[in-house]
This record gives sequence, C-alpha cells and structure tokens, in this order.
Amino acid sequence: MNRIDKKLAQLKDQNKKALVAYLVAGDPDLDTTHELMHSFVKSGVNIIELGIPFTDPIAEGPIIQKAHDRALANNTSFTDALKIVKHFRETDNETPVILMGYLNTFVYFIKEVNESNEIGVDGVLVVDIPGELKLENYGLTNKDIKTISLISPTTSQDRIKSICSNSSGFIYYVTLKGVTGSAELDTSDVNTNIKKIKEHTDLPILAGFGIKTVEDVKNLASVSDGVVIGSSIVQMINDASDSKEFARIETYLNEIRDALV
Amino acid sequence: MGAEDVRRQSLNVYRIKLLGAHVHAVDSGTATLKDALNEALRDWVTNVDNTYYIIGSVTGPHPYPMIVRDFNSVVGQELISQSKEAFNAMPDAIVACVGGGSNAMGAFYPFIDIPETRLIGVEAGGNGLATGEHAAPLNDGTPGVLHGARSYLMQSETGQVKDTKSVSAGLDYPGVGPEHSWLKDIGRAEYYAVNDQEALDAFHEVTELEGIMPALETAHAFAYLKNIQQEFTKEQNIIINVSGRGDKDINTVAEIDGIEF
Repeated sequence: MNRIDKKLAQLKDQNKKALVAYLVAGDPDLDTTHELMHSFVKSGVNIIELGIPFTDPIAEGPIIQKAHDRALANNTSFTDALKIVKHFRETDNETPVILMGYLNTFVYFIKEVNESNEIGVDGVLVVDIPGELKLENYGLTNKDIKTISLISPTTSQDRIKSICSNSSGFIYYVTLKGVTGSAELDTSDVNTNIKKIKEHTDLPILAGFGIKTVEDVKNLASVSDGVVIGSSIVQMINDASDSKEFARIETYLNEIRDALV
Repeated sequence: MGAEDVRRQSLNVYRIKLLGAHVHAVDSGTATLKDALNEALRDWVTNVDNTYYIIGSVTGPHPYPMIVRDFNSVVGQELISQSKEAFNAMPDAIVACVGGGSNAMGAFYPFIDIPETRLIGVEAGGNGLATGEHAAPLNDGTPGVLHGARSYLMQSETGQVKDTKSVSAGLDYPGVGPEHSWLKDIGRAEYYAVNDQEALDAFHEVTELEGIMPALETAHAFAYLKNIQQEFTKEQNIIINVSGRGDKDINTVAEIDGIEF
C-alpha cells in the first residue's frame, strides 16, 4: 500500500488530522534539507512535501520564491531532489514524501518521475497542470505514484469534478485566493467549499496556503482532514540558513501538532 | 513591466502614465517580460474578484493565445483585402518578428489556408544563436511549459527556464505562442533569427532610406529581408508587418551609438 494512503488511513482511524510540511530541496543545501526532513518527522509531521526548485514558480509568494532562487543558486536539480529522498529512505521508510513543483520540470524528467517510487517517492503535486489534464497524458503511468491536485475557492463545480477524477492520495484545498504565504486567510468559506468537494470524492482533503498560526490550524483542522504548512517554515529555514540552528522550527511544528489533535 | 524594460522602454512607460495608468516595475528574475508575466499572474490569482487579466501577446494559458490571435487577425484580413487591390493577387511572403508572436500570428492566421503565401517569422538572435545568448526558442529551444502553455521554450539541461538576451524588449521572452510552435511543426510557417547587430543596422537603414523608424522588434523582420531577397523576383510581393514604431527605442539606440541627450 502506498505510504500516503496508509498514513492518512491510520490517522483517520486514530481520529487525528494530518500535518504536512513543505520545504524546498536544496534550500540552503542538500544535506540540510535531508536533516530537516528527519527533524520534521520528529516534530510530528506526518507527510513531507519536497519542493522542486523552478525558475518561475508562479504560485509562490515572495518567501518561497526566494527559497527556489537559493536552491537554484546551488544548482539544485530534480535529480538532486531524488537523491535527498533516497538518503531519507535509508532511515525512514514510513513517512510519505511528495514532490511538489511545476509542470515543466516534471515533464522534462518524466522518466525519472515515473520510476521515483522505487527510491521512495509516494506522490507528486504539480501546481500548474490545468484541471482538465492528467499527468498520465505526459507519461506518468505508474499508479504507485499518487497525483495530488489543487482545488481553489474559485474552482468551478465542473472542474472540481474533473480534478477529483484525476487525483489520488488526497486533495489539496487552497484556502485563499492568492499565492503561498498570503496574509488574507479567510476560513469562513472553507467549510462550504470542502463540503462541495466531498460530493465528488472520498479522498481526504487537506488545507493549505497562508496557514501560519496555531489559531489558523485549529480553525482549519475542524473542517478538513489536515493542514499543509509551507511559507512559515521556509522563512525559518531562511533565517537560520547560516547558523543551521533549526530548533525554532521544531518548537513551531510541535505547537502546530498539539493544536491539530 | 520588468524593471529592466521600464528602463529600456521609458518613453512607452511615460506614454502609458499619461493615459492615466499605473506601471508597476518587477525586480524578480531578469526583470523583463517573463518576470512581469509571473507577477501579473500572481496578482491576478490574489485579486481575481476585481481584476481582469489581459495580455498583449499570444502566450499564456488557454484561451488567451486564441483571444489575442483573433483580435490581432484584423491585420491579416486587412492584408488580404489590400493585397487584392494592390497586387490583384495574394502576397508571396509575409515577414514578421516573433517574440511571444502576436503581430506575426495576427498577420499569419488568415493566410494559413492560402498556401501561395510564405509565412516567415523572425526571432531575436541576441548575440547570435551559437552563443546561446538570444531569445529564439523556435530556432534553438525544446518543448516545455511556461505560463500555462506548452510550446517551444529556452530551457537548460535540467528543465529550468533560461535567461534571454535581446536588444529588443518586446522579443526578450524565453517562450513563444503555442500556435507558432504548431505552425512550425506542421511546416506551414518558417522561423529564423537575426542578431542584435543586424536588427540595429536595419533600424538605421530603414529610418534613413524610407523615413520609417521601425521598432527594434520590427527591425528584426526588416533585417531578415536581406537574407531572402535572392529567393524572390522583382515582380513578387513581400509584406513586412511593421508591428511598432521605433520612437520608444530611441534611447536604447542612442545609448548603443554613444549619444547622450
């Protein structure tokens, strides 16, 4: 069974919500990314989203854009991200790892993507694939790799239906109109919108974009199956990229984990 | 607009401001057209309730390439009716510059089913195709995905979008309208490139001999004419699509010529 399905089923049985954490591969360097992934798991993270750096990350706010730039300045490539996963799997064979990024790099490395479950990748989340298209159309035929999709507050009912039918693993509900890390989190519509999505799928629905505080997490956990935290962590990684003192991230993730249960 | 283009196109920027609009300069990436598009898309998803996204080129997500093509095709329709009057025949060739490719697409589109007219697009060769420092994805690119469209793209061996180089701001884009890629692949249109120096020479020559000061973009189309003149007889008719005026480029040309105002 795929690690994502297994983990989310376990959490559901325990009546717990999922905590997904994002970081960019190679920010600030490959070894640090690897260490941070283990540190995330120790701090209660259930699923890791590993960002694949891209020159034009159009869905990202300034914090994550800069992380992509830093990783690219180190020449971090798709294959480097796979090396990190391989290294991570040497000591963690349970935590699901999802590669998140932009269509161009995934299409460019489609052969590697298609074989990536062998080294321990469990799913992919391609931010800019149109809702009507499937990664299968681009050559991702391996059903052991889950294809997670984004649904936003403005996604039409027809499109929700088509996106749900092209998705596996879970659905990532974008909690706001905007880019990652935006300030305008409005949880009032989330409940209604997630209910609409549930009409079309049995997949778990996780909420992300703009979630920062314990309060945000509490609000969203009550209406979703879990939350995704990105920009807040990436900012802390940036702040400590020289000192490599990442204790603050562990404290933060522990607080979030406690708020989720 | 990219901050570099705000500088290069300062006369156009002032003209836009006179009309009452605000121009935001974008500093990310290479601070040119690609980066301005990234920021425009980010702004749009954030302010989608009160903002209409519009683009002047045949690039970006569906249906924008079609919208811009259809509006711009008044140029090609006009060429058909004027050619009937002036030549009593269809033109033997149409030459147009191609960055994103809107003026070329507007001129070419109504001629797609008129096989006697050669359709010739001219890309920005920058420092020369062999140097890799150019903006000519149809001549020296591979299929990729940028800004929601799959088309020829200037990308690195790791699937990252490459920086572009052109004296002409309007051609300085690593992608190209997807329908141009299609016209290239089916062999209906031909695409070539001229370098910065050839375009600058054409700018001077056309200004001096014809009293028509072409935009640096358009100067690429004029420059290419020299390369194909042997292929035509004096009785044949070639149309150059004069896509823009060169007034906006006077600062750039003067700077290159070492003239200070």
